[in-house]
Amino acid sequence: MYSKEILDFFKKKGISIGDRVSISSRDMALEGEIMPKTEAGDRATIVIKLDSGYNTGIKFSEDMDIEKLASGKAEVSFPKAKVTQKKGLPKVTLIYTGGTIGSKVDYKSGGVYTLTKPEELLYEVPELSNIANIEIVPLFSIFSEDMSYLEWQKIAEKVAESLNSGSNGVVVTIGTDTMHYAASALSFMLPNLNAPVAVTGAQRSSDRGSSDAFMNLTCAVAAAARSDIAEVFVCMHASSSDDRCALIRGTRARKMHTSRRDAFKSINDTPIAFVDRAHKITYNNNYKRAGASDKKTDAKTSFEERVALVKIHPNSNPEIMEFYSSKGYKGIILEGTGLGHVAATTQHRQFNWLQHIRNATDKGIVVGMTSQCINGRVHSSVYSTARELSDAGVIYCDDMLPETAYVKLCWLLGNHRREEAARLLNRDLVGEMKKRSGYEEFEEDEYAGESAGK
Amino acid sequence: MPANQQENERYSALGFMCGLEIHQRLATSEKLFCPCSTSIPSKDEKPIADVSRYQKAVAGELGAIDVSAEFEEQKNREFVYRVYKDNTCLVDLDEEPPHSPNREAVAHALSFAKAMNMHIVHEIQPMRKAVVDGSDPSAFQRTMLVALNGAIDVDGHRINIPSMFLEEESSGIESADANTAVYNTDRLGIPLIEIDTDPHIPNPRVAKLVALQIGTVLRISGAVQRGIGSIRQDVNMSIKDGARVEIKGVQELDLIDKFLDNEILRQQKLIEIRERLKKAEATVGVAKDVTHIFANTNIGIISNQLKKHGVAVAFSLRGFKGVLGTEVNPNKRLGTEISDYAKMAGVQGLIHSDEDMNKYGFSESELVSLRKELGVSANDSFILIAGGKSQAPVAANHAIWRAKYALVGVPKETRAANDNSYYTTKFMRPLPSGSRMYPETDARPILVTGEMVAKAEQSAPNLDNERKYLSSIVKNKALVEQLIMSPRLLFFKRTVQETGADPEFVANVIIQKLTELRRTGVEVEMILDDGIMAAFKAYNDGTITKQAIDELLKALAKRDEPVMEIIARERLERIKGKGLIKLVDEAMKESGGKGIDEARKIVMSRHRLVVDGSELNSILVGRMG
Repeated sequence: MYSKEILDFFKKKGISIGDRVSISSRDMALEGEIMPKTEAGDRATIVIKLDSGYNTGIKFSEDMDIEKLASGKAEVSFPKAKVTQKKGLPKVTLIYTGGTIGSKVDYKSGGVYTLTKPEELLYEVPELSNIANIEIVPLFSIFSEDMSYLEWQKIAEKVAESLNSGSNGVVVTIGTDTMHYAASALSFMLPNLNAPVAVTGAQRSSDRGSSDAFMNLTCAVAAAARSDIAEVFVCMHASSSDDRCALIRGTRARKMHTSRRDAFKSINDTPIAFVDRAHKITYNNNYKRAGASDKKTDAKTSFEERVALVKIHPNSNPEIMEFYSSKGYKGIILEGTGLGHVAATTQHRQFNWLQHIRNATDKGIVVGMTSQCINGRVHSSVYSTARELSDAGVIYCDDMLPETAYVKLCWLLGNHRREEAARLLNRDLVGEMKKRSGYEEFEEDEYAGESAGK
Repeated sequence: MPANQQENERYSALGFMCGLEIHQRLATSEKLFCPCSTSIPSKDEKPIADVSRYQKAVAGELGAIDVSAEFEEQKNREFVYRVYKDNTCLVDLDEEPPHSPNREAVAHALSFAKAMNMHIVHEIQPMRKAVVDGSDPSAFQRTMLVALNGAIDVDGHRINIPSMFLEEESSGIESADANTAVYNTDRLGIPLIEIDTDPHIPNPRVAKLVALQIGTVLRISGAVQRGIGSIRQDVNMSIKDGARVEIKGVQELDLIDKFLDNEILRQQKLIEIRERLKKAEATVGVAKDVTHIFANTNIGIISNQLKKHGVAVAFSLRGFKGVLGTEVNPNKRLGTEISDYAKMAGVQGLIHSDEDMNKYGFSESELVSLRKELGVSANDSFILIAGGKSQAPVAANHAIWRAKYALVGVPKETRAANDNSYYTTKFMRPLPSGSRMYPETDARPILVTGEMVAKAEQSAPNLDNERKYLSSIVKNKALVEQLIMSPRLLFFKRTVQETGADPEFVANVIIQKLTELRRTGVEVEMILDDGIMAAFKAYNDGTITKQAIDELLKALAKRDEPVMEIIARERLERIKGKGLIKLVDEAMKESGGKGIDEARKIVMSRHRLVVDGSELNSILVGRMG
């Protein structure tokens, strides 16, 4: 935002942001359009877009000359895509919730804003209408960090509704920050799913020609239209190259990089399938297949919000357990160290978690244990610490991701009594855990699949 | 009328408009928006990975897709980026947001702005400029307007410098075919400054001088990279009734005027062609698939394509007879211009009817069927393109567009200077329109402080001051001018400073001696700076004579080895003091009293390389007394 002095100055001179002006100060004279000020710039500098397309800043002073040459253009709207419905193509519902995939640089504010009209997306990816008959459902337009289970519930209901009204599959576009939480939540909320549900997004906004949005979206629509995967999966770049997308089971996906386009990895499991640029689907793992069924898709969306995910670290204060307990929390997932440990044998009482955990389980709080190693499974009998925790009622969650265990416990406590929720926490429901650890599930080679000098 | 004035009037009568864009890489240790190394890896270094990407033309800030961006996208190519360990990071690969702009680069840019008498903007705004030829993995180049409204004087002309930019270098292209372009990302993101003149450079000769002078000012700062590709000049020009054309990639400054004169000729020819076509009421037909005519053809370039399931596409051109074969530039015809457009779609080229049909091996019946299919007589022309199923029809559309434009005149184009024997250019892409800029929201604007401006003023390279300084240490005026223009100027200054050797002598060796040696076949480019420096040190501390420098340089050109070893092996150590007195005494004896001139002759004939003339003289003069 501009400083108050500048805004008053504009007002006095009858000038609005977007107007074409000639403006001059002691050592500079410019002609161009007045740009809005982003939060990043100096508030006492006026930004002008010159005819060359460049923006440039000129320092404000009360005595500078400014003259309005023309009024600013009305807000630019994007041409709308004509969505031509081709006969014989499968119907896919595209549920649009915001995030980078629907982000644009706003020339008004200079910042990134979220598209409100899904047609703008189709305008940019017209090939979508060659893959499927697309029905676009704009549900909301928010950043994924602002998304809560209240939105997940709405998405799950909309997915069920779309499938029950004849869609072959559903694509949900979502911000990537919390995409894996959402994918997990949808996996549990849609327990009798009988069609593909692809969750996709972008790490680079679609206003740039290099955006990963185009391929992620076309691959997701192809998977929703043509695959028989009756699960919720994340569809994002498999590598830094634009060669194929990985379809990762919703409960196994995790954002493992802040910015790379192949940020999402399948943890403790291999991707279900890959979709290449030509939209050929190569299956890679077991999955639940869609079958002939007249049954309606259920959305079981009840969700207990009083569940916490707590990360253990050296010197961590176990009194946090009492805090959650006092707030009426029903469940706590611990993200322990190594095989699933907390400080339990230390002589320093202030760091010993054991009694605090016992107090919580005694009060009926369901406590689950996962590992902050992310890769691998927890184990309750290798070390005495884990045995003691287990005896204290901590439920070891096998090879389940901490985030998935958290979402699962919320969902279980929302839909079941405490005892049943505790019993189901380490039982596989939708592929979120398994007994066997495959060698190939932990990728060591960071350049796997990217051979140099080809 | 003086020659210069005549020249100016001649070009002004043509409506000659010309401006330059000078691009110069800066010598910072890190790239502009990331901490990658700016030194280019050695030829032996293998990339650690290849990343493959596709790019898409997207609506820009104002909602319109840039013309040139769309044109590139039609090619639907794969871009492969070579990743180097120390030179490429996630920022370069469009996998991480940019870091803060390199402060060193900003400081250099501000100091150049002051050297061009420009006004530095108050707040520098990072922008994204859409680039869809694939040379940037992000599909845009980060660029910042740094300064406005400067001017320099060149050859009595005031040349306005309206703007200067600080931007990222693009990737270097390694190879390209119809489907794939491979880029090296080692140089991607190195800071680059762009200095633009206004379009009023009066003639090609002055254009060359402007480029030379700007290049020199940048070089004397010591803040720029040297070597092939580190400076590039793009030349914009048009003539009355023609169109603006940007010529990229003129590597040698000396050739700028030759390329410009040829571009004038090309535009004049295209204007002539337009008039001929108008008179003939020429028309261009639509593309037709004519594959069936050539099912059993003996024409190699067509049958090869059809074997690969390709197609043959043709269109008619009425009133073009003889025009397609008209030369518009040395060795380039209108047919070549049209062909260059078709090639953008990935086909090998095209066949046009002004060519010799026998050369291709057309049968009479093929020609008859083709003309019938296109509905043209033998007096009309046609263009035939064979290529892949998805490429040939697109190529035909490009060719039709260009052929139709022959009736309009000169298209606005970006052209590549690709032929240094004829100084001609080749179509690269349509000239980009203005709508391809939007703010780089991931990088903060830079507020320019008074302190930054003061520093820039103080450090601005100044040609006059440089000349004054050089004149104070080197008497020969011509040598001073040569030094200023020389890429070796900084090395000269460093050598004088570090060795204490006589500047005039150092300048002579660096500017003239090395050139002389090169002409006699010595590979002077093999001599390392350190070797030359060591040679001057040896001279200045009396280890060798002036004459021995030549021998040292010749030896260094053959093999890089310590100077002291060469001196010992080649017996170049200077004979002085008592040693020289002994030689003089022997020579005096040998000359049998014929006097000091004979003695000097004897000493010099045997020990020319190791005896200092003035020392010898003073000993001989002593003997006389």
